[in-house]
Amino acid sequence: MERKEIFEKVVKILTPHVKNQAALASVSDSTHILDDLKVNSARLVDVVLAFEDEFDIEIPDEDVDSVNTVGDCVRLVAEKLG
Amino acid sequence: MPAEALSFRERAQLVIQREVGRLLSPLWVPLVVATMRFGMGWRIEGLAEARRAYRELWRGSPHGVIVCANHLTMVDSFVIAWALAPPWWYVLHYRSLQWNTPEQENFARTFGMRAAIYVAKCIPVRRGGDRREVGRVLARITWLLSRGEAGLMFPEGGRSRSGRVDAGASTYGVGRIVRALPGLRVLCVYLRGDGQETWSDAPAPGERFRVRVEPLEPKSDHGGLRGSLEVSRQILAKLGEMEREHFDARR
Repeated sequence: MERKEIFEKVVKILTPHVKNQAALASVSDSTHILDDLKVNSARLVDVVLAFEDEFDIEIPDEDVDSVNTVGDCVRLVAEKLG
Repeated sequence: MPAEALSFRERAQLVIQREVGRLLSPLWVPLVVATMRFGMGWRIEGLAEARRAYRELWRGSPHGVIVCANHLTMVDSFVIAWALAPPWWYVLHYRSLQWNTPEQENFARTFGMRAAIYVAKCIPVRRGGDRREVGRVLARITWLLSRGEAGLMFPEGGRSRSGRVDAGASTYGVGRIVRALPGLRVLCVYLRGDGQETWSDAPAPGERFRVRVEPLEPKSDHGGLRGSLEVSRQILAKLGEMEREHFDARR
């Protein structure tokens, strides 16, 4: 799967949890999920589980610790997809 | 982050923190309990049963105990510790005094506060902060529990904003710790004051608490994050059940 396609799917999954909708207009790899998009930290778990379902991958819970930005999500999913 | 990923320096820091607290425990543990008992005038109903259950679980557990509780005020961890054992027990069995993870913004603002929580077996965490930092705190707690220490976690991840246990809270930290340490004992604790309608900073003076305790063996067939979340939710479901029993008993 192309990186661009992963990026678009990641943003789509994040969108319902985003409180700062204005930040979505300029979303990039460096966009911070909690600080910029204002996603509730408790909802981050739901987001990661949605990645598992969408991309049919399993993410070890330790890997959630490395997720801070949209780019981190894309990298994590790309790694799991091999 | 697995507990074994802690560096030698991190492990040494935790051992030193524990020893400093232990050496000072004959002073600070009775002082904290006396403040709650005589200064604030708090009382706890169900103390004998809670303490018996904690002692039994503690004695039968070589791999540590994790206490999982509902969360209404910023001082819950102190009240819960008092509910589970008398001060002299903690001084004699210092491992059984629970480590906990207070919110950094509430408890680590000044040097005095940082010193106090350092002595009181606390590892501050910034909830909603950098996931790596949160992961390191979980790894520290996991390592301590693997050494036979006790820990206290609030599976909701914060004070219950509705005033009731949020069984749908999506936290996974407790589940991660439980899954990482096979044989770890889990004790669910429900504590609530008669005057506590909802969450607050601290219970009112003269508050009368009621405490319920129940051991639990949460399990999950899932791996990864899903497994940790499922374990956390089983614990939350038990706390929700204990909450219903609490209110049923008061009707």
